[in-house]
Amino acid sequence: MAGAAAQQVSFGGLADRLRPYTPLFLLVFLIAGVNAAEPGFATLTTLSVVLSDASILFILAAGLTFVIMLGGIDLSVQAAASFASMIVAELLPRVDYAAFPATVLVGLAFGLASGFVHVKLRIPSFIATLAAAGVMTGLSLLMEDGRTVSLLDQGREESAWIAGAWLFGVPNVIVIAALVGAGGMLAQRYTRFGRYSAAIGAGEPAAIAAGIPVDRYKILAFGVSGAFAALAGVVLAARLSSGSPDLASQLLLPAIAAVIVGGTAITGGVGSIGRTVVGALIVSIVRIGMTFVGVDIFAQQIVFGAALIFAVFVTIDRSKIGVLK
Amino acid sequence: MLELDKISKSFGAVRALRDVSLEVRPHEVVGLIGENGAGKSTLMRILSGSMRPDAGAILIDGRQVVLRDPKRANEYGIAMVFQEQSLLLNMSVAENIFLAQEKPFMRLGAIDRRRMIEAARACLAKVGLDVDPAMKAGELDFAARQMVELAKALALEDRTDAPLTILFDEPTSILEAKDVAMLFERMRALKSRASFIFVSHRLEEVLEISDRVYVMKDGEVVAERLAAGVSAPDLHAMMVGREVKGEYYREARQSPPRADVVLEARGLSVAGAFRDVSFALRRGEVLGVAGVIGSGREELTRTLFGFLPQTSGTLLIDGRETVLKTPTQAVAAGIGYIPRERRIEGLVTDISIAANVTLARLDLAMRHGFIDHKREKSIAEYWINRLRIKTPSAAQLCRNLSGGNQQKVVLARWMAARSHILILDHPTRGLDVGAKEEVYDLIRDLSAAGAAIVLTSDTLEETIGLCHTILVMRDGAVTARFDAPARAKPKQVALLEHMV
Repeated sequence: MAGAAAQQVSFGGLADRLRPYTPLFLLVFLIAGVNAAEPGFATLTTLSVVLSDASILFILAAGLTFVIMLGGIDLSVQAAASFASMIVAELLPRVDYAAFPATVLVGLAFGLASGFVHVKLRIPSFIATLAAAGVMTGLSLLMEDGRTVSLLDQGREESAWIAGAWLFGVPNVIVIAALVGAGGMLAQRYTRFGRYSAAIGAGEPAAIAAGIPVDRYKILAFGVSGAFAALAGVVLAARLSSGSPDLASQLLLPAIAAVIVGGTAITGGVGSIGRTVVGALIVSIVRIGMTFVGVDIFAQQIVFGAALIFAVFVTIDRSKIGVLK
Repeated sequence: MLELDKISKSFGAVRALRDVSLEVRPHEVVGLIGENGAGKSTLMRILSGSMRPDAGAILIDGRQVVLRDPKRANEYGIAMVFQEQSLLLNMSVAENIFLAQEKPFMRLGAIDRRRMIEAARACLAKVGLDVDPAMKAGELDFAARQMVELAKALALEDRTDAPLTILFDEPTSILEAKDVAMLFERMRALKSRASFIFVSHRLEEVLEISDRVYVMKDGEVVAERLAAGVSAPDLHAMMVGREVKGEYYREARQSPPRADVVLEARGLSVAGAFRDVSFALRRGEVLGVAGVIGSGREELTRTLFGFLPQTSGTLLIDGRETVLKTPTQAVAAGIGYIPRERRIEGLVTDISIAANVTLARLDLAMRHGFIDHKREKSIAEYWINRLRIKTPSAAQLCRNLSGGNQQKVVLARWMAARSHILILDHPTRGLDVGAKEEVYDLIRDLSAAGAAIVLTSDTLEETIGLCHTILVMRDGAVTARFDAPARAKPKQVALLEHMV
């Protein structure tokens, strides 16, 4: 991959050369900017808060990255995460630690199901995942009549470790996100799934003609997205000590933004997990940094929207995209 | 008169055009030829207003003009008929002809459909096409669509005082022989109304229709000749800067096939496409399938690679009965496919050469279930050397390669996968002469190494030159079968008889 990037250099101009790194520059610029306005920002304590926030966003967006790279979209990640928070809250008293893998498997299953609907029934992923989100939200609401389930009740203390810290005071959320990130990057570089995702996103007809079982890998990508969304839901539930049908409902746009701001093209083909790491950090810094420097909570949405457009404007080479839809 | 004066254009470090000067006189057909990368397409883009030159001037009747965008080019009387056809298939013929030119038909803010259709009918009459202008463009065949494009270009007549120049980019590449003849007849008739620039790879056709021919090479005009005074081989020599070798199709290297049959069809049929096709393809044999559009040969090649499963009949691969339902199955059975749409189906252009080479058999580059990048690189480098793919490295994106080198990457993929059956679907389409010859050499290499090959081609000459055996198809059925051993090749007319 590094070689490919280096080779591109000889053909593109300076803008092409720098484009993949613009999110990184933006990140450094943002940290420096917020810190200049409010010098207390770049301390370990605040950075730890930012990283924890970014971690959840990243876990939520990690699987979504593959879906977007393949040219699709998953609008059900926030619903899957909320659903997962309910499931893990229900399962913990019954099956202890097995609740964690079980919840992630439920996320995987729902993801595979919406992938199947999208690919085999040929329904746009936009619609298939929107419908899946509706189903999962409905199930979450039905479980406890729309109520929140506290994790502080008896038998649910198994989740406490997630919210804690393990070594040198690094919150475990960050450790989990780091593992997800490392796993995702390795998967991208060293597995069939990673290679085929890139190939299918960049040229589906050619991937089909090379004999790649394209349908299978597309469905798998939605499964991965569902599984990571469920994992994010578990982590979020542990941090907030409760499961709730709308626990993650505010996180869909930030998650998509994290993928896009990081430099993965919404049109598919170009992208990576590494970029989503940077994207999640940018989104978190914008969100927390604004509170830090005292931007009105209502005005934050305006800044956020503007930042999103700016980031996409500078990071994606739109000249290669003929028609924007 | 349209004149180009010392037009230059660079893309980064690459000079696509260098001081190109040419003129198009009234009522003239100007042929423009050159190998891929000679600069023809860039020149056409500049003329049609979709690209601006870095230097040089464009003059119309002696007055300098700036072709800022396609609309401006239209106003100056220049219209382009696109190779890939630019009609919107979900809109009517009339709507297509007057697309973005609806103003004259507006009445009280709405389009007067009836008047537009009448005007379209008049345009269609100019090109002699008798179809209902209210018909959807998608319902027409390719030849008719091209005529509609021509009518659209001619509709400019009513909107500009400038002399009309119509740019034709490879108009005949997708047309059948009879449609080409019809197109030429119309062009000759229309010379009283317009001038033409005719870009094509087919030198005979260029000579047939053109009054004068410009030859481009490496971004420059290297020759200008009256068509009456040159022959196709002359033009060819100017284009490539060397003589065509006598042994164009490498006939001397055609070795007899082995005895063992690897791919056999018995009464193979796909409802609505072709029926009752039988053949037995041996190792080392090149089987050509000849036929016009609609003969079923395109569908047959798609069936042999699992895109279009047979509805009846039997397919045997290495003696085992099979129904190929997906390309994945075909690849697993040892079949490789070189599609005609190189940049769409052939390659993923935005990933590396190495990744494209291993795309069909990634397992060859894997160790313990993971991709071994060193191994992948060495596989790719082996094929880059063996097929002489011109690239600085295996990590290069395929988008940056020339057409010929891209085709070699596709071939490398199937050679690396050790596919013993290869379906070559117009393997030399859009390649320049030098690249074609390299592909011919590779086909001979593969055949000598024992690969069984099914080939379809744009020209009969190529099919006859390359193949051991030729099936001729018409209306979905095999109408003849020819043996084509080296030095005893059948004549084109003999095949044609069974094609039409």
